[in-house]
Amino acid sequence: MVASDLPPLLLLSPLVFALVIFAMPTSGRSARLIELLHLVSIVGTLVLALTTVGYVLSHGTLVTFGDWLMVDPLAAIFVGLIGVVGCLTGFYSIGYIRHDVAHGELTAVKQKLYYGFFNLFLFTMLLVVTANNIVMMWVGIEATTLGSAFLVGIYGKGTSLEAAWKYLIICSVGVAFGLYGTVLTFANASASIDPHQAVLWTSILAHAQDLDPTLVKIAFVFVLIGFGTKAGIFPMHAWLPDAHSEAPSPVSGLLSGVLLKCGLFVIIRYYAVTMKAIGPEFPQSILLVLGVLTVAVSAFLVFVQHDFKRKLAYHSIEHVGLIVIGLGVGGPLGIAAALLHTINHSFTKALLFCGSGNVLQKYGTRDLRSVKGILRTAPVTGLFIMAGALALAGFPPFNVFVSEFMVFAAGLDAGYPKLMILVALLFTITVAALVDIIAHSVLGKAPENMEKSDSSWLSLAPMGVLLALIMVFGVAMPRPVGDILRQATGIVMDQGHATATATPIEHVAAKK
Amino acid sequence: MSGLQIVNGLAGLLIVTSLLVVVARKPSQSAKFYALQSLVLVAVFVALGSATNAPQLYVWAAVAFVTKVVLVPVIMARSFGRLSDERLGSGERISPAVTVLLAAVVVLLCTLIISGVTLPAAAGIKPALAISLAHFFFGLACIVTQRNILKQVFGYCLMENGSHLTLALLAGSAPELVEIGITTDAVFAVVIMVILATQINRKLATLDADQLTTLKG
Repeated sequence: MVASDLPPLLLLSPLVFALVIFAMPTSGRSARLIELLHLVSIVGTLVLALTTVGYVLSHGTLVTFGDWLMVDPLAAIFVGLIGVVGCLTGFYSIGYIRHDVAHGELTAVKQKLYYGFFNLFLFTMLLVVTANNIVMMWVGIEATTLGSAFLVGIYGKGTSLEAAWKYLIICSVGVAFGLYGTVLTFANASASIDPHQAVLWTSILAHAQDLDPTLVKIAFVFVLIGFGTKAGIFPMHAWLPDAHSEAPSPVSGLLSGVLLKCGLFVIIRYYAVTMKAIGPEFPQSILLVLGVLTVAVSAFLVFVQHDFKRKLAYHSIEHVGLIVIGLGVGGPLGIAAALLHTINHSFTKALLFCGSGNVLQKYGTRDLRSVKGILRTAPVTGLFIMAGALALAGFPPFNVFVSEFMVFAAGLDAGYPKLMILVALLFTITVAALVDIIAHSVLGKAPENMEKSDSSWLSLAPMGVLLALIMVFGVAMPRPVGDILRQATGIVMDQGHATATATPIEHVAAKK
Repeated sequence: MSGLQIVNGLAGLLIVTSLLVVVARKPSQSAKFYALQSLVLVAVFVALGSATNAPQLYVWAAVAFVTKVVLVPVIMARSFGRLSDERLGSGERISPAVTVLLAAVVVLLCTLIISGVTLPAAAGIKPALAISLAHFFFGLACIVTQRNILKQVFGYCLMENGSHLTLALLAGSAPELVEIGITTDAVFAVVIMVILATQINRKLATLDADQLTTLKG
């Protein structure tokens, strides 16, 4: 196999499996076969994703399909993320969906559709992050909405349909703004370069200095509104808590862990172009303002929620806010911190959403006022949720601590001490909210006459892997990850090879 | 009359047809007006193709004809006819007269914005460009001002037609696959919205966006 076949293969694999799953008959016996197909697909996607990342690490950027597909180190981070979190939440789905089918929440037809759409959703997200063609990038983002809207509304209840409708309308409208930004950027670029080149992100970046500055600004604002809707940036986040809380838990994990990051990915691509075309001041000040507002609004909303999954959803908004702040602070450290936080938040949030799934199936409710004593009724799940909540709150030795600390360090380094103190204060509110989950729901007094039984190993195994990843990234981040972060930061800063920056960890260590 | 003037004139017709889509009494009627509007859009593509000597726009026109004049309106007319909500009434938050006034204001504002654009590609087609932008915001306004979720689907379609026209005006030279990708997305979006709206109507017996407010906070 040639290396340039990797990106198309990576895209085709989940798409083909999705189509095959859709085409399967839905008799009682085919359910197991569909699960098997799904398993092969997600493992295959994981293997292909990691192979692609490995290739990019050792050989550099992979460009193919007439330059329309590209995996550079920046894209590789997101490809890896989709592969890993997609595979783990996909694996978790098997036990979760079986439980729902057994309890009559889902029919056999819905089960088949779930796996089909799950793989289709993976395909659309991969399409976004491997696209070099900016219009295909937009098509991919719009397709993620279409692929996942069904998953959000799959239970067919009043509330899930309502959530799916809001998700579909708000995101379609938002992303339409993204199309305007895309078209403006293309029109802007095609004034100075050949139209077939002007549609490629790499060419636009290379000729960024020739772009009309006013149009670059307008386009960036449109892009930020458009793809920011998908990323859950305030004030375009209205769809997010509904969709995240109503979707099946593994899908919530995938939405929060990966989909939001795909929106951010597109913003980062345009951020690089904008910085090169008109300098960092304009995009960074907008990002900082939106980032801080996002954190401020969500911090309070996290606290007042009683619904476990809604709480987690607002938490995702807050962490997206922090990532945006990291981008807004800018500089090699700020951008590396934002990218690392993207990865760390994904693992942590996927773990917690899976945990919330176990809780929902055990207690039959997501209301934290009724969920008590998880550690007694389902010890392993309780332990996982406790670790996940501590990690998300930013305690060492978990991974989120490292990247949160880096964002704050970058902010102080760039001369925003007051802003960083404000953000840190806002984060203490959510620490309180997370400690509250641990104190009352994980510990607390278990309901009487609830038997002690944990979820099956099918549900617990992927959570164990996620926790392991959280620990590894918290204690000793693998060297290749540091390398790829450094290279990706270099791309956003457009230095080609970022020889100027140390690995984020070294940088932080040097500061201490 | 030069080719570009025809383009600008036809673009003006888009606003008229979109007003018809918004103020039509029944969603199935709106679907017919939407087909009419898409036909105007196709005509704009053809006129633009011949005026700027860009043959690929004929392909765009053909694709738009199949999807927007035939496919999407047929899907809509068929499925929307079966859905109803007695309590909703017209579902307008603002009266048709205000809607027309609003449209005029939007067009005026967009003309002002576009007059500042200095792109060489925009020379000669500024009125059409302003209308495409206005069309986009008009669709957005339709989503906000209509309580009927089926009308909201039309709002999305109007936004989509607006950006499609901008795309043709500013990026007519883009590779064809780009346009096919965008159109495919739009068709799927409408199909999924129709399916969801049908499920909502069946499950909750409503088409009123104001009734979909269980999830809060």
